[in-house]
Amino acid sequence: MPKWWALLLVVLAFPFIYLCMNRVFHATVMYITMNVALMLVFLYAPTEKMQGIVQKIFYFHVSSAITMFFAFFLVCVASIMYLWKHSDWWDAIAFSAAEIGVVFCTLVLLTGPLWARPIWGTWWSWDPTLTLTLVLWLIYVAYLMLRIETYDPQRARFAAILGIIGFVDVPLIRWSVEKWRTLHPKPVLIQEGGTTGLTSAMLLTFVVCLGAFFLLFFYLLRERISVAQSRHTLEVLRHEIDEIYIG
Amino acid sequence: MKNFWYLFAAYSTIWTALCVYMIRLSQKNKALQGELRDLRAQLERVVTK
Repeated sequence: MPKWWALLLVVLAFPFIYLCMNRVFHATVMYITMNVALMLVFLYAPTEKMQGIVQKIFYFHVSSAITMFFAFFLVCVASIMYLWKHSDWWDAIAFSAAEIGVVFCTLVLLTGPLWARPIWGTWWSWDPTLTLTLVLWLIYVAYLMLRIETYDPQRARFAAILGIIGFVDVPLIRWSVEKWRTLHPKPVLIQEGGTTGLTSAMLLTFVVCLGAFFLLFFYLLRERISVAQSRHTLEVLRHEIDEIYIG
Repeated sequence: MKNFWYLFAAYSTIWTALCVYMIRLSQKNKALQGELRDLRAQLERVVTK
């Protein structure tokens, strides 16, 4: 196994370990990692010869995209678990991950054109990768509109089904990047044969950025689940008070 | 420094969007905690009556 692959695995496992830690500690680690990532992007990573300084968008654009894919994967898994177990906890995870996934997908859709304009000469092109990413955003915005804040088992069930079906778009995006002839560049991080198209300094910067984004994702997920649970408790309490008054 | 403004715009967009989302989330959380505290107090009053 190449060394950079092992390093990537360690970075991906890092947020899972720190998810068990308390909120302040988690926020502190996330803040430090994000600052280190920014310093690496602007002070350490070399400027790419062909694209120039604008290539530095890559570090946060691709990290947002990977975090977004992970968020929607979590929506899919949590939705399957909700349909199987009927537990409100899984529904809260799916709803929270979908909202954060939409935030990261929005970042991908906003930073992509800002990178494309100076390189391709156009803000947007209806090519398969870009169009499928926009479709993914629309699917999960529809999910959020269907699910809304108030808990309703029927809405939650329909939203779970949409969350599972919507995830089909994710492998399609990956496949479109690799196989279709599109304006979007082919993957540079992991190329055919398991090699990487990045220099070691660029790879290290990218791995730290990805780690920082995963920490941010888990921090936001924890906060969002706490909101969902508070709202659920509020509904239960209101119901209890109503019953007391009626009774 | 050609295309610097595109880089600046991209990073500004990321941080503005994330800050707005985090502030909204924390405001929502604070409001819900306050509402929960009030309801719990109300429930306690009703039960003790």
